[in-house]
Amino acid sequence: MNAVTTAAPGAPVVELDLAELRHDPYPAYRELRRTAPLAWVPSVGRHLLTRYEDIVHAEKLPEVFSSREEGSLLLRTVGPNLLREDDPDHRRLRSAAEPPTRPRQVRDLWAGAFERTAHQLLDRIAGRGEADLIRDFAEPLAAANLALVLGLSNASADDIADWSRAMMAGNSNYADDPDVWLRAEGATRAIEEAVAETAGRVRREPDGSVISSMVHADGPVTLAEIQNNVKVIIGGGVNEPRDVFGVGAQALLHRPEVLDRVLKDPALWKRVFEETARWISPIGMYPRQLTQDHEIAGVPLPAGSRVALVIASGNRDESVFERADEFDVDRPHHPHLAFGGGPHFCMGAWVARHEVSALAWPLVFGRLKGLRPTDSPADHLEGWVFRGLTSLNVTWQTS
Amino acid sequence: MTIVIFELPDGTQRKVTAEPGTVLMQAAVSNGVDGIVAECGGNASCATCHVYVDARHTELVGPPNDVEDEMLDFTAAERRPTSRLSCQIQLSDALDGLLVHVPEEQV
Repeated sequence: MNAVTTAAPGAPVVELDLAELRHDPYPAYRELRRTAPLAWVPSVGRHLLTRYEDIVHAEKLPEVFSSREEGSLLLRTVGPNLLREDDPDHRRLRSAAEPPTRPRQVRDLWAGAFERTAHQLLDRIAGRGEADLIRDFAEPLAAANLALVLGLSNASADDIADWSRAMMAGNSNYADDPDVWLRAEGATRAIEEAVAETAGRVRREPDGSVISSMVHADGPVTLAEIQNNVKVIIGGGVNEPRDVFGVGAQALLHRPEVLDRVLKDPALWKRVFEETARWISPIGMYPRQLTQDHEIAGVPLPAGSRVALVIASGNRDESVFERADEFDVDRPHHPHLAFGGGPHFCMGAWVARHEVSALAWPLVFGRLKGLRPTDSPADHLEGWVFRGLTSLNVTWQTS
Repeated sequence: MTIVIFELPDGTQRKVTAEPGTVLMQAAVSNGVDGIVAECGGNASCATCHVYVDARHTELVGPPNDVEDEMLDFTAAERRPTSRLSCQIQLSDALDGLLVHVPEEQV
């Protein structure tokens, strides 16, 4: 099915400025949900789907809303991979890669090393009394943990973070900047080499990592498939836990009364995590392409139509979440869309939940006494396809 | 057709019919039974389609499989000996009349 890169007949057309979306997409989403819950947005080249119920409907019909979007920047950056496949190929790759990310494996195999790394990072900054918690803590922690779970003992945390940034720039290179492509290609070549070397090692000595699990999977997985899927996991696996950490930490720093309650009742960290992921979702949207004619949000879409599921908007849908723009750890439990849904439900969900809510937040707020933000809440917050803090500057008491 | 009954936390019951061979989660979702979220669509990755099988039927339904057993340690509502993920229960004529209890929370 060829992609249709124009508006469906009958779809409202809404002009949105990408720079404004990057700055703050939520006012535009609110207006779309109210007036045009499925709208063609020329600057994005896709129909944006913005209401909660419609997004859930699409996620439950993967045979209609296919992940195989043609001409996607992600395909150009990393090649064919499980995010842009449908079942059964998606399932074969997912089953091969998933076991090391399941919750019991996280607890038994990875949690101890995650904790040691987090302490080492805090040891480095504890005496300084000030830091950028994104650059100095959350990003290197996410990158080191990712290297461990993947099995890339031949890559440093800095390598992983650099590769991730270079590929993410490729994924959003709508301007077709040749330098961005060059950097992304450099990163993907380096990952291919590191994965090939690791695959050879774990073939002889299985180690419970994602690469090892893929090498020894029952369904056949080629080296190229392992390489491409490791690229995708590196591309997304750094920024998502980093961004939940940053946004949630900042939310608490500006809400001392909530922070007090959480510190007295650590069971609340789990609520903080889910509410942070709902409130400012690290992944804001992802693309689908229709395999057949299908009506959604009152608009009949022809086969081939491109639709972006805007989960960041669904998570602010006021018909589902009261006072949806507020960060509220006490809101009634209702499933959010931040991890996606259906067969593509986030593979890193259990790793991230542990890494951020059981480890990173409690350690940072426990070890750095009198932590205070030096930024205001809107500083350094940007993005709409991916959204998070680029910096989180804080001070604390040293004695 | 197999008839299954979902008892909701408030005590009300929803009776639905499903083709033998479908999974219990699907029977709930396609009939709009509240409280079965099933975020991952039936792949035992999310632990949000948790049910308690009624004591009269636990033996008939059987124990959880390995992958499911792990996920049941991470459900939002407490795990009990009768806990199963409804996406891992395949319906058959033998399960006609199955009663399951939907927990208070899935997330």
